[in-house]
Amino acid sequence: MCSASMNQTPIPTPQEALRSSPVALLPSNPGRAAMIWRRFRKHPGAIAGLLVLCLLILAVVLVDFSPYDGNASNMNELLLPPSWQHPMGTDALGRDLLTRVLLGGRVSLTVGLIVVVISLGIGVSVGALAGFSSGRVDGFLMRITDMFLSLPSFMVLILISAILREVEAPFFEKNNILTIGLVIGLLGWMTFARLVRAVFLILREMDYITASRCLGASGLTIVTSHILPNAIGPIIVESTLELGYAIIEESGLSFLGFGIQPPTPSWGNLLSSAQDHFIAYPWLAIFPGLMIFLTIISVNYIGDGLRDAFDPYKVLTKVGNV
Amino acid sequence: MGQYVVRRLLQTLGMLLLLSILLFALVNLAPGGPLAGYGQSRHILPDRAEILKRQFGLDKPLTVQYLIWLVGNDWMRVDANGDGIIDGYGTRRGILRGDFGFSFRTRQPVLVEIRQRLWNTIYLMSVTLLVALGIAIPIGIISAARQYSLFDIVVTTFSFAGQAVPDFWLGLILILIFYGWLINPFTGEPLLPSGGMYSLESQLVVLDRIKHLILPVTTGALGWIAWYSRFMRSSMLDVIHQDYLRTARAKGANQRIVLFHHALRNALIPLVTLFALDLPYIFGGSVFIETIFAWPGMGRLYYQAATQRDYPLLIAILIIGAGLMILSNLLADLLYAYLDPRIRYS
Amino acid sequence: MSRKTLLRGLIMVCLLGILVFTLTSCQTAEKTEQTQSPQPVITDTKAPSPSSITILIAEDPPSFNAMISDTGYDALVMELAMLGLTDIDPQGNIIPELAAELPSQENGGVILDEENGTMSVTWKMRNDVHWADGKPVTADDVIFTWNAIKNPDTGSWIPGIESIDSVDKVDDYSFTVQYNTIYPGYLMQFGGEQLVIWPAHYCNADQGFAAWDCGRKPLSDGPYILEEWEAGDHMTFVRNPTYYQAPKPNIDQVIVRTVPDASVRKTMIIKGDADVIMWTTEPIVHDLENEANVKISFSPQNRWVMRLFFNTAAKGTVDSAATPHPILSDVRVRQAIRLAIDVDTISKNIWFGYSKPVWTEFFRYPYACDIPRTLYDPQAATKLLEEAGWTDQNGDGVRECHGCKSAEEGYPMEMELITYSEYGEPLVLTQQLIGEMLGKVGMKLTLTVVEGSVLWADSASGGIEQTGNFDIDLYDDGYGGVDPTDFIWSYYSADAATPDYGWNVGRWMNEDFNSLLNEAYTLDEAHRKEVFCQMAKILDQEVPMLLMFSTINAEAYSARLEGVQSTVNDLVTWNVADWKIK
Repeated sequence: MCSASMNQTPIPTPQEALRSSPVALLPSNPGRAAMIWRRFRKHPGAIAGLLVLCLLILAVVLVDFSPYDGNASNMNELLLPPSWQHPMGTDALGRDLLTRVLLGGRVSLTVGLIVVVISLGIGVSVGALAGFSSGRVDGFLMRITDMFLSLPSFMVLILISAILREVEAPFFEKNNILTIGLVIGLLGWMTFARLVRAVFLILREMDYITASRCLGASGLTIVTSHILPNAIGPIIVESTLELGYAIIEESGLSFLGFGIQPPTPSWGNLLSSAQDHFIAYPWLAIFPGLMIFLTIISVNYIGDGLRDAFDPYKVLTKVGNV
Repeated sequence: MGQYVVRRLLQTLGMLLLLSILLFALVNLAPGGPLAGYGQSRHILPDRAEILKRQFGLDKPLTVQYLIWLVGNDWMRVDANGDGIIDGYGTRRGILRGDFGFSFRTRQPVLVEIRQRLWNTIYLMSVTLLVALGIAIPIGIISAARQYSLFDIVVTTFSFAGQAVPDFWLGLILILIFYGWLINPFTGEPLLPSGGMYSLESQLVVLDRIKHLILPVTTGALGWIAWYSRFMRSSMLDVIHQDYLRTARAKGANQRIVLFHHALRNALIPLVTLFALDLPYIFGGSVFIETIFAWPGMGRLYYQAATQRDYPLLIAILIIGAGLMILSNLLADLLYAYLDPRIRYS
Repeated sequence: MSRKTLLRGLIMVCLLGILVFTLTSCQTAEKTEQTQSPQPVITDTKAPSPSSITILIAEDPPSFNAMISDTGYDALVMELAMLGLTDIDPQGNIIPELAAELPSQENGGVILDEENGTMSVTWKMRNDVHWADGKPVTADDVIFTWNAIKNPDTGSWIPGIESIDSVDKVDDYSFTVQYNTIYPGYLMQFGGEQLVIWPAHYCNADQGFAAWDCGRKPLSDGPYILEEWEAGDHMTFVRNPTYYQAPKPNIDQVIVRTVPDASVRKTMIIKGDADVIMWTTEPIVHDLENEANVKISFSPQNRWVMRLFFNTAAKGTVDSAATPHPILSDVRVRQAIRLAIDVDTISKNIWFGYSKPVWTEFFRYPYACDIPRTLYDPQAATKLLEEAGWTDQNGDGVRECHGCKSAEEGYPMEMELITYSEYGEPLVLTQQLIGEMLGKVGMKLTLTVVEGSVLWADSASGGIEQTGNFDIDLYDDGYGGVDPTDFIWSYYSADAATPDYGWNVGRWMNEDFNSLLNEAYTLDEAHRKEVFCQMAKILDQEVPMLLMFSTINAEAYSARLEGVQSTVNDLVTWNVADWKIK
């Protein structure tokens, strides 16, 4: 499990950050995207990660074309080892494991996306507000962030997932995926908030911001056209890491029986059902976990590449990560 | 500085109080209750449920329940035998006086339940943490000193991989390999045990303990090694390129001394504070590792309490966990300030 | 103190700490609870080394008082150390333990007052049973236990507690229980799987029945004495030299070990590190059947029956008359579902063939009724559904209502099948198969798995069953002991349909059934059986609940042991005094 310290690296002051950077940051400009992509391409790990992730997404989207039904049982093909007909073998009800693993991928990736969206939404809002305002508002928001940070998060996750699972509102309709995503996101936004706040603190001291203010630009304009474009870099990098974190949390929850419930497959609950007989039928445990591993490592490499691409001199991205 | 500490401690108490209300509400408002599936029968008879409810204090409104949990009811007049006549004082002293209540499942005081498992978790987690640090720090240092060498590349790749491996999967795979497949050439039995803390019959106690520790510690330490080595490396790299080291080298100091004497000390500072933040895990343990390796510890206790809705136990573990996290944050901040004279809190 | 020193110091402290931890962990008796029960020191000079067996259980018992938490593990260890007035053998016969004889109307032990509808039972106890400290087990202990139980603050519920007016001592070895009703279950009043007699001179009444220390440090009158209990790990029992059936028990020492992982338990018994696995499940039994040194004992009766509970009230409501369920309120639909489920296939593929088909609540001694089994017949199911007005006219494979009983025209035959997660994989797989089988006859089922603590909670806590928030509910249940009356009442009687008052969450109301149930509170066994079998016929016709199969009750034991007999009426240690090592 992610260690607590992974979310709370010490944040340098704006002066420190600026001191260690030889190059001042530029206001947004159109050629930037191409520049970023060029820098990204130089990163072999990131390209590999991107490739793997794209392949995975493709497979997950195309799983409907599989000749096997991920849910229908087949009494004649129980617990078969991997073969040409069943590249990952079959499970205790004779269902093709590859199909179920890919369906599980759909679920896990969807939950991951939902988590990123939610924690981005909350975290960026809180962080931007805190970083841009001063004193009282900042202090208050940081207190709330600290309170959330001091919750033993996995324990609380288990609790909240129990509550929201049974919510009968028409919006949820007992849709597990949405509620699990919501729950994990509600406990994962703090890193974004701290990151965005730190970035805002650094950026708002910059000369071109002062210049804009002198020229009469409103707060909103400053935020949206000057600060946010530069903040996008670290935010995107953190999002990729958050995606990885979300997938692991969801798999962990489902593994314990709190997250996605069978028969809907998710990588976590596939591993959980494998527990009964994985020593005799190891493929049941190897493949779902392998998928989690491949996804996370790809996402991590992509994040690393993005970090170098957006911020090669590590001015801003140092604030929240290694 | 002293003022700062006192202020933070007061804030801690305040936050814990707030959290206690939040967690109490959360736990009680979650659907499901401790009486569902109590004991062997799936559905307990209503007469029995009545009695249990009263004994557990669940028949009172939530706010009263919270009050009793907080300050006890031995100062309140209660109706002990439900016949409508007030006949004495309650027996609970409340959490502020150290009475965490009794577990619904075992009727034992919560603190006794926790104490029985706490030791096992501390044992496992501290070994894991120490092994992780013992491997991660040297790896990080060497990696930084030999940047871009083969060693460095291997280590960096490994730390990416290590952070991507889910520990519940790793545990299963390790059991598969070391218990399912590999055989001890001498005894013909599985190479390593698949769970438990020790075997009753074993003669060589220390060896037996180590055998039972290897798999859970490996599972738990891998993620931490990956994380800490990466951080150590980057922290070391930052320091190595600083001006004052250049000065030391220019003065002619031995490369080794430069590295270990100056750089390491400063590179370790942020690491120490990070380590302080991980201390609560020594208390809470990992649910996954304890479930997979059948380790009787705090993680499994919490999991059991959560599924069985054993409210007193559940809330106690949550509060203690939260308290430890807040305190470890404070410790980390203080350590950072103490070790790095550039930082001062008012 | 410089920073370097501080860091060095920190590292030193940590290393020292781990050294200390490892060293102290070497002493295995870290958290041992030594028993305080004073015992006469009798050295056994005959045998050179004590015979010892190991029983494996999945969870640590919360205490020795099985009445409080009823986990089963507590009853297992309770049977080793303590005695009740009576017990039940695997066949279902009641046998006396502390009682000298079973009271009945014939021997004058039971006196019926037909006019007032009350009765009294006078028990005569054995006079040769002693506690391990030498004091005799007397009627005072029974009165003491009863008073502790009925304390509303610190006591507990036991079956029959509302029917007892008083328990009065007659002399040192006899007492009378005064009932305020006709209570057929009187023979098991102070015995059975969960209840034993506690020592008046040793247990602390102030601490209360539910929490007294003697529940964790018991004073034995049974075959074994608790010597040590290392919480979460193991308990060691040694023979009780003052046991009234001396020279039994045959085995000198019993170790009960907590091993949560099922495959580790399996490995241990194969290797010979353990002798009995309590509650061995189907997959483990399947794996162990071919081991030469392991035998399996199957219980002659079974208790846990897997069943489908139909909600005859509309989902989310609790009144089946006002808001009947659009699909399930029609008895033909329920009968069709029974015809459409292939119990044998489920049993063979998921339960390794160890489950036995059960189709009536009254399938156990002494109330086994002769109800013919309805066999799997999907064509008949289809016919019945069509008759009931459910046909598929838009070709999507799912039937709709066209002239059905309680639903609107065109209402699709879609329902939710719910089950609970704590049982494990086999139940979830069973749910899947049932969903598929019903899908084949035109019903679309969404499958949901929830936690048991949510499924069975009361309505205030959002309990799914009590609030009626389900269509079909899949779970296992069965009554303990030999008397099904309370069980039947809680599932099928009209009173039990009121939320939180009972468990008739299917809200099935049948007047004939209710009046028959009232007649069952009689001591006339022949009449009781007749009444039960008439009730069985109604249940078979109406199918408020579909019973499918019973799950296994078995224990795996090592071939060197003799006398181990699995039973559904108690735990496997019920006759531990009789076990022998070959």
